[in-house]
Amino acid sequence: VIALALIVVVLPLAPALAAALTPRARPLGAVAAASSIATLGVAIAVALDVSGGRRIHALSGFIYLDPLSGFFVATIALVVALASFGSGAYLRSEEERRELSPLQVRLYFIFFAIFASMMLASFETGNLGLLWVLIEASTLASCVLVGLEAKAVSLEAAWKYIIISSFGVTMALVGTLFLYYAAGNLPGSPTQHLTWDYLFAHARGLSPESLRLGFLLVVIGYGTKVGLAPMHTWLPDAHSEAPSPASAMLSAALLNTGMYAIIRFQALTGPALGTRYAAHVLLIFGFASVLVGTLFIVLRGNFKRMFAYSSIEQMGIIAIALGFGGVLGYYGALLQILTHAIGKAVLFLTSGDIVLRYRTRLVDEVRGVLSVTPLTGAVLLLAALAVAGSPPFGLFLSEFTIVRAGLERSSVVLVALLLVMLAIVFVALVGAVAAMALGGSPDRPTAGPAYTERSSRWLAATPLVAGLCALGLLGVWIPGRLDTLIMHSIRAIS
Amino acid sequence: VGAFAAVESLSATSAEGVLLDTAAVLILLCAFACLGSKLFDRYVVYYGIQSIVLSFAAAVVALHEHEPGLWVLAALTFIIKGVGIPYGTRHFLIERFALKRDVSLSTGLSSSLIFGAFLTAFAFLTISSAVPSGLVAEAVVPISTAVILLGGLCMVVRRHTIAQLIGWLIMENGVFLGAIAIVATFPFIVEAGVFLDLVAAVLIMIAFVSGLARQVAEATSPELRQLAE
Repeated sequence: VIALALIVVVLPLAPALAAALTPRARPLGAVAAASSIATLGVAIAVALDVSGGRRIHALSGFIYLDPLSGFFVATIALVVALASFGSGAYLRSEEERRELSPLQVRLYFIFFAIFASMMLASFETGNLGLLWVLIEASTLASCVLVGLEAKAVSLEAAWKYIIISSFGVTMALVGTLFLYYAAGNLPGSPTQHLTWDYLFAHARGLSPESLRLGFLLVVIGYGTKVGLAPMHTWLPDAHSEAPSPASAMLSAALLNTGMYAIIRFQALTGPALGTRYAAHVLLIFGFASVLVGTLFIVLRGNFKRMFAYSSIEQMGIIAIALGFGGVLGYYGALLQILTHAIGKAVLFLTSGDIVLRYRTRLVDEVRGVLSVTPLTGAVLLLAALAVAGSPPFGLFLSEFTIVRAGLERSSVVLVALLLVMLAIVFVALVGAVAAMALGGSPDRPTAGPAYTERSSRWLAATPLVAGLCALGLLGVWIPGRLDTLIMHSIRAIS
Repeated sequence: VGAFAAVESLSATSAEGVLLDTAAVLILLCAFACLGSKLFDRYVVYYGIQSIVLSFAAAVVALHEHEPGLWVLAALTFIIKGVGIPYGTRHFLIERFALKRDVSLSTGLSSSLIFGAFLTAFAFLTISSAVPSGLVAEAVVPISTAVILLGGLCMVVRRHTIAQLIGWLIMENGVFLGAIAIVATFPFIVEAGVFLDLVAAVLIMIAFVSGLARQVAEATSPELRQLAE
């Protein structure tokens, strides 16, 4: 399994090597799609292997896999696969329109590959210091993608992103140092004091004061990456300015990577501090994020920004679910992570098709997507319904679970507050997207088909249809192995 | 055997303790010097001096702990943070775009210095009670916290992208100072990874700043308002 785990990290780098040979988007897209499908296959094999509760520990904890790692590896590999298909089509279209130079195409595939590989690697280490290093490396790679178009606006977004997230991630490093300090009284070697499974087994012996401060700093630090309010300010800019497949990766993969780190640290605080401390911290940040997300989704200006605020809101819901805790809370949180990842990846990929076709990012300038490009329009509408939490899609099920967890373990007032905001988001998001998808015919002529070649159209359509089918399936039926994997993930952290 | 058995033996009155304390004070002064300056050249010089002092502090701890990894980090700090980054910033950004004076401050120099003094006092009042007394950490940990806060203050009151870059690097130096003072035994491979990330971040930031400087006359964040909402 260790060999498979290493393959998961190395395989996504194939497009980076290919980019050294050719700057053409067509072969690079094909390599990216092929390697991402292979990665997904291997990642699922890894996840199935650990789904029964098996733990793998090697190189004194620098390699560590448990069911939770397996769950995240499979989820992120799925997002990478969806986004790789989208990348092939999107980049070829941009190349044909001479929007991107050969150098930029090369850079895109190189940093996309590093981004994917670093994220997948971060789930496979048990060393919290190395986890920090890998998450920071993935952030840096994604910064290059955000600034890739090298216009003043995209550089501005990239600058804001790199400066705010570097600041945040530095806080997470200080938090990790405090955790290391909190482990000072434990027996064992210095490396073990940073190793998650050792710390988890000895969590009772961590010194409470440093642990409390360390956890808060870690939530602020990694929360900056997750997009928890009030550290979310980089997120809408970066998501709206990045090329759309890269936005899909940011929203559906990178945010979850930060959430993964927070889940790991939350598990360490329970025995020494009691579960209430971490729960309160997460509930506060979670509700702040849902509130900010809700308020800005209502604004309805730029649709990529709107989807980005929806990600902030969704991450808030996940933080709230972690705050509710218990088996139901964690189950809802993990299921929400998976379903939101698929839904948001699909939504950002459709937004890429729309940007290519309409050459605008404003909701009010896009009309009649359904009549102009039936497939994109239909997927846009259904994916927005799914992300807004409508049945029969997977997010309905996960949000329902979270609400049940809240009723069981927390107050009715909090649950009611959450439901009100969810309802507002539903109306605003579906209303805006319905106007874009239906809303008669476009006011002005569109820029011509997004993709001229047949193969590009296939590349663009595959992830949309596949993602939507997966979402629909998860709404009505959770495969037995996935259920076991989630249950064992919860057991691994509680 | 606890992880800080070795560091705890480092009392404030030992020779290494005195050296480390002095280095920490110099590092704090450099952070203040940066905060009190208006010239791009100076920012870079003060950051370089701070990093060189930091590399000496790391060498002192390495001598005391007999940690080969810390010697490597001390050397890397000297070469990359002390010489490489200041030279690179000056050569690729300040000289190429003929930048002289940073005029985009959101507060006056004196008020930002006074605010910096408050932050330093705050760091001492809150942190020093948490650290066991009589040890070198008693002074170094509050100082490193103060340096982190001062770096953050630089990023907030300065709007020029280069000033924000230097502010972040000062924060990072504060973290490193705290790390070598209280957790000298931090695994080397992790520290090396942190260092690698820092270098990559600086390279990417330099590329962004020069890209911005080419498109916007002054790469200051008040001009970066297109995305304001």
